Amino acid sequence: MKRIKMIKSIQLFVLFSLSLLVVSCGGRSDSSSETGSKKSSKSERITVLGAGASFPAPLVTAMADDYRDITNNRVTVNYQSIGSGGGVRQFVEQTIMFGMTEAFLSDEVIANIEQSTQGKAFNMPITLADVVATYNIPGVDEQIVFNSELLVNLFLGNITSWDDPRIAEINPDIDFPSIPVTIVHRSDGSGTTNIWTSYLSSVSKEWRDRIGFATSVNWPVGVGGNGNEGVAGAVMNSPGALGYNSLSYALLNDMDYAAIINSSGNIIEPSYEATTAAADIDLPADTRVLFTNTPAPDGYPVAGFAWMLVYENLEKNNAINSRKEAVELVKFLIWTITDGQNLSEDLGYARLPQAAVDRNFEMIRQIKWEGEKIGEELLKAAIN
Amino acid sequence: MCSYKKTEKSLLQRKIHDKFMVALLMISTIVVMTPLIIIVGYVVYNGIGAINADFFTQELGSPTRAIQGRPTGLVHTMVGTAVVDLLALIISAPVGIGAGIMLSEYPDHKLNPFLRIMNDTLNGMPAILKGLLAFAVIVKPMGSFSGLAGGVALAFVMIPIIARSTESALMNIPWSIREAGLAIGLPRWRVVLSTVIPAARTGLVTGFLIAFARAAGEAAPLLFTSFGNNYLPNHWTGMIFGPVDTLPQRLYSLAISPYKEWHSMGWAAGIVLLSFVIILFVISRLLTKQKH
Repeated sequence: MKRIKMIKSIQLFVLFSLSLLVVSCGGRSDSSSETGSKKSSKSERITVLGAGASFPAPLVTAMADDYRDITNNRVTVNYQSIGSGGGVRQFVEQTIMFGMTEAFLSDEVIANIEQSTQGKAFNMPITLADVVATYNIPGVDEQIVFNSELLVNLFLGNITSWDDPRIAEINPDIDFPSIPVTIVHRSDGSGTTNIWTSYLSSVSKEWRDRIGFATSVNWPVGVGGNGNEGVAGAVMNSPGALGYNSLSYALLNDMDYAAIINSSGNIIEPSYEATTAAADIDLPADTRVLFTNTPAPDGYPVAGFAWMLVYENLEKNNAINSRKEAVELVKFLIWTITDGQNLSEDLGYARLPQAAVDRNFEMIRQIKWEGEKIGEELLKAAIN
Repeated sequence: MCSYKKTEKSLLQRKIHDKFMVALLMISTIVVMTPLIIIVGYVVYNGIGAINADFFTQELGSPTRAIQGRPTGLVHTMVGTAVVDLLALIISAPVGIGAGIMLSEYPDHKLNPFLRIMNDTLNGMPAILKGLLAFAVIVKPMGSFSGLAGGVALAFVMIPIIARSTESALMNIPWSIREAGLAIGLPRWRVVLSTVIPAARTGLVTGFLIAFARAAGEAAPLLFTSFGNNYLPNHWTGMIFGPVDTLPQRLYSLAISPYKEWHSMGWAAGIVLLSFVIILFVISRLLTKQKH
């Protein structure tokens, strides 16, 4: 009797694991039948793994969706939004094929990489956008206006209530409620923080001396959110909150965001046109430049590039196992800065200026796989 | 008369006492059950709306997909969870059983006190550290986040649980069975393999299921091991050697995202994960009952 029961119980377990297998196989065959119909052999299918900044994540994942359709599911771009700090870290650790960041690699990091891979690490601008002040003030639906002084005082914790006369002075038509200001900042290493604090540093000596700018700083006040996603979520859920996000997050989630008075004294509403105006600068060859607090009269003062990080000698990156993978990575890279740019405006990103595209082409031409200049070949094929 | 009255009174007292204690027990049962019922109810209430055919057949893709109402789902996440958890079970079962046998069948062994302390330490160690360990020993050398690394990280969660449950399952087998085996001249290892383990099978399987259910709910060890994926891997090998999505981790990222559509998908992912764990526990309960 006991034996039969035991056998029964084992049967049950086997059945259970089988059902799990069936579930997994069901899922697999599902996808392969989908792709099989589109005539692509399994051996050619490649996954390109990237991770990093949350700032361009809505754009890069939308690009990945499109790129998968364009290549008939042959190339899957898996982009995980883990923050610029994480992106740089994993890029240096060589666990991802490309990183993304809005805080370009420092000279020191580039020198270290040059030593270990006998090649450069490229910062290639993929997109650019505004970092906007997002807020959640009950009863205020109008777009409020900030000047640099106000923002510095808010983020320093000198202004603690929304009905502070200094806010009302610039926004005379808006009736602010008497609720406390809750600052929401990033808790992870973030390029968005880098852009935001670089603006605050360039407009305020006090900020520059006390806090400075970096991917993570010692915030005097506020609560932390993980990623642009976390900050947006926290702002939407806490009345009185003030945070900063890439414009895309504000647009996708119908959040309120502020206009900022730029250094020319104009009230600038965040938009991709205002980003483009701010980005009209003399771009250095390695594109490593911040353009916050722009002198351009129509430029939004808090904007920046998001860079894709790629090794010059792709075979040195442990995450890339074959020439095929390297080729698909470069092809995707070329697509993002050319056709892929068509997705930008709808999601609140600006198109790359021609100067940035040209600099990118220059860098792509140098990309090699075991000495073979695959970047140059693929670029030639793509442009013609 | 007097003594009769006294007993009657004390009987009444005893009954009141008994009722009171039963009521106390019932209250504490209710207190224990309430959070569970609230959690299950709240998750189901919020997530049931997002469960549809797409949810089980489509891949997640970008947030714009969900916002624009294009088909999106979590099929890759469910498949990934099954693969990573099964990998973890395959890795941890032999090691866990071995440790359990050592503790129960060789109680006098010099290493046992040490093994027991190590096992308890591993059990109490924060899961994120197990993830970091798997990152260091699998992800870094292989140069890739992978389902395998996730499986190893979860195996660290499972091993101490399996070792403990194996030990107690084997301890439940009477010594007379072992003595019977030894009496007909079987060596010790043979006794364990051919008589003790078959007798304790149900207990062992129950232990696996409990460990499996425990590990299925862990998100922290997977953050930097299986890493996450918005799609199904291109090839089945990608499940093991490439980054894969898992329910607890995806639930976390959906929950902290600002998109309303993703929030309800997160709740729905919660329903799937919760039913998965509940089913496992129910099966393990049934198995233990069958034993008696």
